[in-house]
This record gives sequence, structure tokens and C-alpha cells, in this order.
Amino acid sequence: MLPMMLALVILLPLMAALGCYFLRVSTIRTMIVLGTGVCIAATSLALFGQGSFTYSPGTILGISWDSLVTLADFALLFVILYYAFKLKNQLIKVFAVLQIIPLAVFELFFVDHAAEVPAFYADSLSLIMVAIISIIGSLICFFAIPYMKTHEEHLHLVKSRQPRFFFYLVLFLGAMNGLVLSNNILWLYFFFEVTTFCSFMLIAHDDTEIAVKNATRALWMNSLGGVAFVFGMIWAYSVTGSLSIQAILEAGPMDGAMLVPLGLLCLAGFTKAAQIPFQSWLLGAMVAPTPVSALLHSSTMVKAGVYIVLRLAPAYAGTFLSEGIALCGAFTFLACAAIAVSQSNGKKILAYSTISNLGLIICCAGINTTWAITAAIILIIFHAASKALLFLCVGTIEHGIGSRDIEDMRGLYLKMPRTAIITIVGILTMVLPPFGVLLGKWMAIESASGDLFVIVMLSLGSAISLVFWARWAGMLLTGPLREKVPAESQNILTRFTLTVLAAATVVVSLFSPVIYTGLIEPMVGKTYEITGGVFSSPIGVFAVYPIFIILAAAFIYAWIDTKKSGNIQNGASYMCGANVKEPGVQSFIGPMNVPVEIKASNYYLEAFFGEEKLTMWVNFVGLALIVLMLGGAL
Amino acid sequence: METLILMILGIVVAPVLGGLVSGIDRRVTARLQSRFGPPILQPFYDVAKLFGKVKVINNFWQVFCAWVYLIAAALSVGLLFAQSDLLLIFFVQAIGAVFLVMGGLASPSPFSQIGAQRELIQVLTYEPLIILVFASIFMVTGSFRIDEILNYDQPLLAKLPLMFIVLGYALTIKLRKSPFDFSTSHHAHQEIVKGVLTDYSGPYLGIIEIAHWYETIFILGICALFWHTSLVGVVVLLATTYFAEILIDNTMARMTWRWMLKYVWSVGLAMSFVNLIWLHAG
Amino acid sequence: MLKKFIDNSRAKSPWIMHFDCGSCNGCDIEVLACLTPMYDVERFGVVNVGNPKHADVLLVTGTVNPRNAKVLRNIYDQMPDPKGVIAIGACGLSGGIFRECYNVLGGIDKVIPVDIYVPGCPAKPEAIIDGVVAALAKFEGLKG
Repeated sequence: MLPMMLALVILLPLMAALGCYFLRVSTIRTMIVLGTGVCIAATSLALFGQGSFTYSPGTILGISWDSLVTLADFALLFVILYYAFKLKNQLIKVFAVLQIIPLAVFELFFVDHAAEVPAFYADSLSLIMVAIISIIGSLICFFAIPYMKTHEEHLHLVKSRQPRFFFYLVLFLGAMNGLVLSNNILWLYFFFEVTTFCSFMLIAHDDTEIAVKNATRALWMNSLGGVAFVFGMIWAYSVTGSLSIQAILEAGPMDGAMLVPLGLLCLAGFTKAAQIPFQSWLLGAMVAPTPVSALLHSSTMVKAGVYIVLRLAPAYAGTFLSEGIALCGAFTFLACAAIAVSQSNGKKILAYSTISNLGLIICCAGINTTWAITAAIILIIFHAASKALLFLCVGTIEHGIGSRDIEDMRGLYLKMPRTAIITIVGILTMVLPPFGVLLGKWMAIESASGDLFVIVMLSLGSAISLVFWARWAGMLLTGPLREKVPAESQNILTRFTLTVLAAATVVVSLFSPVIYTGLIEPMVGKTYEITGGVFSSPIGVFAVYPIFIILAAAFIYAWIDTKKSGNIQNGASYMCGANVKEPGVQSFIGPMNVPVEIKASNYYLEAFFGEEKLTMWVNFVGLALIVLMLGGAL
Repeated sequence: METLILMILGIVVAPVLGGLVSGIDRRVTARLQSRFGPPILQPFYDVAKLFGKVKVINNFWQVFCAWVYLIAAALSVGLLFAQSDLLLIFFVQAIGAVFLVMGGLASPSPFSQIGAQRELIQVLTYEPLIILVFASIFMVTGSFRIDEILNYDQPLLAKLPLMFIVLGYALTIKLRKSPFDFSTSHHAHQEIVKGVLTDYSGPYLGIIEIAHWYETIFILGICALFWHTSLVGVVVLLATTYFAEILIDNTMARMTWRWMLKYVWSVGLAMSFVNLIWLHAG
Repeated sequence: MLKKFIDNSRAKSPWIMHFDCGSCNGCDIEVLACLTPMYDVERFGVVNVGNPKHADVLLVTGTVNPRNAKVLRNIYDQMPDPKGVIAIGACGLSGGIFRECYNVLGGIDKVIPVDIYVPGCPAKPEAIIDGVVAALAKFEGLKG
């Protein structure tokens, strides 16, 4: 049963990807994507039934899977090298060579191929990741079907590029599942490289000048991570003599010699998770079609970086490296939240907020107490759901109004009521209790409270992120009341994914105590006592069910009263008495009796949080912190 | 069960107390200006009158936001009385703050829009300070739970004198006192008409006023934690603090939000650092 | 009981809004004088607000002309019921010495219904307070 399930979550997407690429009929493609999505989502849930497991696939047709992976790995690296030459990018060439040669030397002369290394290992963390990738990933792929159709209509393409697009999108799901299930560090590295490559191809998908430029940047930055990974891997092997991640972790907290390879592996995680100073590739990645941003660059691929850091957390617990990681993460959390305030491009806000939240998760891994690890896992789950939802909303809005600038979304409720409300739901689940992201943030802040610098950065960052979320939610509602806002037409698949994701973010938050007792507690150990849906520990209490119930009642009551207000007196807004008295017009009578339309815009606090102003300094500090982290390990 | 009773008690008593505090505030302010001032019960008359007015709205989301603001504020006070977790209470209170801003942004009136933006900056200014105050309380008592904090055997004020001043800044902003009253202002003060509240009227303004009473009690409750060991201490501390607020309100001019952000963050963070380093050293 | 409390409260909390239609500022200064420690109308719960949506009583000074008549009307419309209007000073009552000007429509009552007329040039603060108290009688009249 287990081999079957693993094949379903890893190999089925590969098959489906090939199917999408070669069967160039849109109906067949739709069926393949839908079928694969449903299959892997169901399998990912069934995998929970297995609990944690270790598994090695053995051989196929007499060839061991290990050698197949090695072969594929080299093939992939040479493909990357090919693209490096095609793009004439020296950095990528250097980084690709720096991976190929050490890896070849490593494979040929160092690795003891006779040693038995379990290829797969899964605990709750891996299974949760698989579920996120398979369920949210599939939903995003469903969303992509109508989205790409409209997208290509906007671009007036002669020949559809969708087969290629879905090839990489679906392939990515399998690679990502492979990554989080791998135990053999060589396998992990292979899947790591596949995600890098998929990301590169998908960013470049639209083939515009800017897309290619940004894709190139993403590739070299992630290749740098690959180099760090290769060297970390080789160094770790030379110290421990094992390729199995579990074997490395079982040795317990490490000292001296092992910290540098761990630091290098974490550095690879940092580049993947676009931590400062590597954030620019993820910001550039926003040129890709929105499903790509939602799938790779917010809810899953960037989580691979976080996953590696979190996976290795037990190995560096209590060391200086751990403290360094916490500082790096906390700094990214603060700095990216701050820059996000100055942005008006919706996707960029989401990108910065994603990096910021990844920083928070990495900070939790660095704090490295059981409470903090719990917080990190909670954040991974809920951030993925909410952020995917928000990206899809921005994509829908962009197709609806032709802009992704939040200033243009003012009063969106009057044009796209359904999407506007779902966006607001997404935003509220990001910042307010009792939803999961805030639960995670609460755990993070409580576990960080002993650390002066970290807590200062977390408190500032959390306040700053409230600003850009709250104003975005508010401005969607701006507008004069109308008796009846016309309903919005949406493609059935768009409506399905948005509604399901929105419902899921809310409902899964409600079940956070269950998720905790069922999945997280067996893995990280008991941190919170759960009684009646209330998380409690000696240092804190978070009442999920009671607050949920009271707020649900509040929302329902408020909504009923709001509905009743439909027939009450409708006053024009206050404009010093000079309103132009025409329904629906927001103007006042200005000089020379000429109507002047009112215009409002957000405070972007450029003077404090401007992107140009901060980026250089932030990168400088981020780099310094990484040097500090690695230097401390040496 | 006891928790539930305490919670309901809090939700019932808080608006009465909050209204009285507001009434006393107006009275004392008037005396400071050599006026006689309104009756102590004036805030209750005001709110009752507002509930008697005809409902006029501009965007029906305002109704929704006003209610959620009130309920979130009430819930945060309920949790405070139920001796829950400080951070949790604060985050619940933030729901109210967010919905107040959303309500303000829902109206297209430029006054309301600017008011909402300024309100957000006020939230931005006080929120990290309050989280730091809570973190410092944790460092002293070892818990965020109010029931555990109440078991601590000496007044927190002795260990966290500077954090109390930091909390004072947050209190001033939260109470909408000069020099920080630019998103909207209280009593007869005016700023950009009435800022974020410009397009709320009648019963909905009344709802917001009651929510504001809850918030007053919420933040005074946090202040009370600094001298939880004696009842007299609490009363003296709160009376002194509130009088200081009124004094500041009457002697300060309204400043700009830029000034507030720079000044409060720098002074607040500096004081927090000094106080927390004292803690580590001591 | 609640309804009775609300009815009583109306008379105890008249929030005033002051609109200057083009007065010479004499009456305006007298209106503001009411708020000073000397007269201290806040004793009666009177608060000077700047927003018609929060106001119960509209105090209008000065002559009405076609330009500001629209604004006056609009502000009056934006006040939620129950509300009262007090015209202050000779100009507000009838147009005063400007009555015959080509651009003057006349008194406030040409544009919006006026409940109380407070005469004077300028009107004395005592008279204005008396006018507000008289307007409260209208709210008292709503009892029942």
C-alpha cells in the first residue's frame, strides 16, 4: 500500500506532466489536471493513516533507484548549464560547475554506495507538507485552468503555450512531494534542484524581456543555494559518514565540526525561502502568471527552504547557529513587513508579506524550543492556505479590472462583490485571531519573549503587517452604498477554488486544536494542554473554540443588522455640504461651480519604509547577520 | 464556571465604569479650564441620545464594522476579567481596531479616509510598545497568563518602572488624548472634522462610543496589573495615571503623525531596552 | 424605561453645529463665547461638533445667498432626525440690513425650516443659550 501511495504522490504528477505536455488538447489536459489533483489530494490524506514511516524503493528493472536519481541529477545540472550558456550568464555557469564537479567527485570517490540508506522518511512534518502541497497545490492547478485560458486571450498568442506551463506546474507537485519525503540527502538535493528548475521555467513562461531577466536572477540565486547545499552535504558526510538525514538528526545536538555544514544547508534553505538578502528573486518572480506565484512562490516551493531549516532544527538546538538563524529570521520578518507598507502593487505586497512570514517561521526554527517548533508548523500550514487564497484573489481581480495595484481596487465590492469578500476573508485570516496564522504568531511571540532582540523585531514586524493588511481590506469596501450590488460572474472552476480555499482557511483554523493533538504533538512533544479547544501552557492561553464561537455569533449578528439596514436612510458622505447631488457620484462642487471628484489614496509612508530607501541597508544587515551566523559556526 | 462569571461580570461592568471614567474625565478637564463642566453621567446621556436618533448610513459595511468593533472590544475586556492570556487579549482587541479602520475606509468621504489612515498609524505606533510591555511582564513573572501574573508577590512597577511609562504612551494614544489625537478626537475637540468617525452617526456612533469605553477599561486594566498586590495601590496608580493623562491632554498641542511615529518609537524602544537590560542585569 | 431615558437624554445632550452663512462674524464670536468658561454651555451637555451627521441643533448666522443656500440645505439634510434649527442675529432672521441686496435671499427660513429665532445684532450669548434651551423644548415635546 505504501509504495503505491508514494508512487501516486511523486510519480503520478510526473506522468500527468508528460501527459499535459504531449496530449495537446485542452479538454484532455483539463481532465488530466483535475484527475491528478483529486488523486494526489486523496492520497495525501490517506498517508496520514500510515503515521511516520521509513521506506526504500529498491530497484526497478535491475537498476537501483539511487543510481537513477543520481543520473537524473546530473542530467538536470547539465540542462541548467545549457541554459546558463543560452542566457550567457556567468554566475549560473560558475554555480552549475561548482555543483557538478564536487558532486561528481563526491559520488565517484567518497560515497559508500553499498551502505543502506532509506530513501524516504516521513513524520508529521513531512505528511503535513505533503498534504499542503497536494491539496492546496491541486486547487491552484484547478484555478490555473480557466486562468491560463484568459491569460492567453489577453496576450493574443498564436500557439498556446499551456502544455509547457502545465508540464512544469504539475511536475513541480511531484518534485515537491519528493523533497519533503526524502531521507537520503542526495534525493533531497535532486528534488531541491528540480524545484529550482521548475521555478526558473515558470517565471520565464511569458517570455518577455523582464520575465527572462527575473527568471535568470531566480536561477542564479537558487543555484547559489544549490552550491551551498552540495558543500554542506559533502562536509556533513565527511563528519557523520551517513547520507541519511535521520541518522544525522539522531546524533542529537551537534557541536563544532558539524555546525558549518548545517549552516551551509540552512543557507541553501535561506536562498530557497528568499530570506534577506536573497529576497529579490522572489519579488522578480511576481512577473509569472498568478497560479505560479500562488503555488511556487508563496505556499509551497519557498516552504521547501523553510522545511530544510526546520528539519535540521534538532541538530543545531542550543548552539550559536540557532541563535543566528533566529536573528536572521526575525530581521527578515521585520524588514520585509516594513517594505511591504510602502508598496501599492498587490502582488508585491503579497510577496513581501510571504518573505516576512517565512522569516517568522525560520525565526521559530532558530528559537528551537518545542513551543517554537509547534509555532513554526502551525504557521506553515495556515500561511500556505491563506496566502494561496490571496494570490488567487489578486489573479482574479487582475483579470476583472486589469490592474493589480491596490489603489485601483478601491471600492472593488461594487464591481466584484464575491471576490472582494473572499479577499477580505483571506486578509482577516492572515492577521486576526482566532485564525491559524495568528495562533502561530502568538506561539512565536510567546516563545521568543525571553530573547530581547528577537522579541523587539517580532513586535515591530507584527504591528507593521497589520497596517498593510487592514488598509487593503478596508479599501475594497470603499464606496457609496447601493441598494443591490449586481452579482458577479465567475468561471465555475475559479469560483470553486476560491470558495473552497476560503472555507478551508476558516474551517481548518477552527480545527487547529485537533491538528495540534493529532499531528504536531506526537512529533515535537507535548507543549500545550488542550481542553475544550483551548491551548494552555504555564506561560499562556489561547482559547480557539470560545473566541471562534463568540466571533461567529458576532459576525452573524452584525450581518443580520447590516441586512436590516438595507432600507434605512442613505446619507451621502460628508463633503462640507458641497456634495454634487446625483446618485452614485462622489464629487463636490468646487471653484467656478465645477464638480470635482474626490480622490483618496493610502499613506505609503515612503519616508520611513520606502523600498529604495530601505533595500540597500536591509540587504547589508541581512548579509551581516548571515556572516555572523556562519562565522559563529566556524 | 468561575471564569465565565468573571467574564460576564467584566462585560457588564466595564461599559458602566468606562462611561463614568469618561464623565469624570470631562468634568476634571472642565475644572482645569476653569469651567464647571457637564454632569458625571453626561456620556450616558450622549450615548442614549445617539441611540434615539434616526439611522443614517453611507455604506452598509459601516454597520457591520461598528458591531464587530464593539463585540471585539467587549470580548477583550471579558477575557481580561476572566484572567486569560495578555497577548491573546491584545490580539482580540486588535480585531476591533482593524474593523474600526475598515469601517472608516468604507466611507468614500475624504475625512473618513484620512482619519482611517491615521488611525492605522496610531495602531502601528502603540502595538509594538504594548507587546513589549507584555514581554517584559513575562520576563518578570514567567507567564503571559493574568492568573499567574496575579500570583507574583510584588508590584511589577518596582521592576518595570520605565515599561509603565511606555504603557503610558500607548494609553495616551488609545484614549485619543493630545498630542496624539489626530485620527479622531474626543469631547469637543475637532480634527479633520471627526476623522475616522466622520460618517458614523446616530446609533452607530453610540456603538463606537461604548466600544471606546471598553477599550478605556481594557487599557486601564493593563495598567492596574502594575500594582496588583494591593487594592489601594491599584486605585492610587490608576487615579494618578489618568490625572496625568488629563493634564497632558490639556497642556499639549496636537502634533503630526510623523512626529508621533518617530518620537514614540524612539523613546518607547529606548526605554524598553533600558528597562529590559536592567532586568537581565538584575 | 429605556425609551424614557433616551427621551430625557435628548434634552440633556444637544450637540450643536454652527454654520456661518455669510455673517459679519459678530454673531459667530458670540456663539463661540458660549463655550468659554464665562458661559460654559457644556454644563448642559452642549458640545460644539463640526459634522452635521453628529449634530442635533444647527445654529445658523448670517444672510443666505444662492451660493450658500445649497450648502445650508445639504448640511441640514445630512443631520439625522430629530433635529432643530436656530437662526441667530438680525441677518439670520431676515437678512438684516443686507435684506435688499441683489444676492441675498433673506432669512434662513427661506431655505430650511427654523424652530427658534434669536434676535440681536449681534445676538448676546445669554440670548443664544436661551434659544438653545428653547429648542430643547422641541425635543422635550417628542416625549411620550
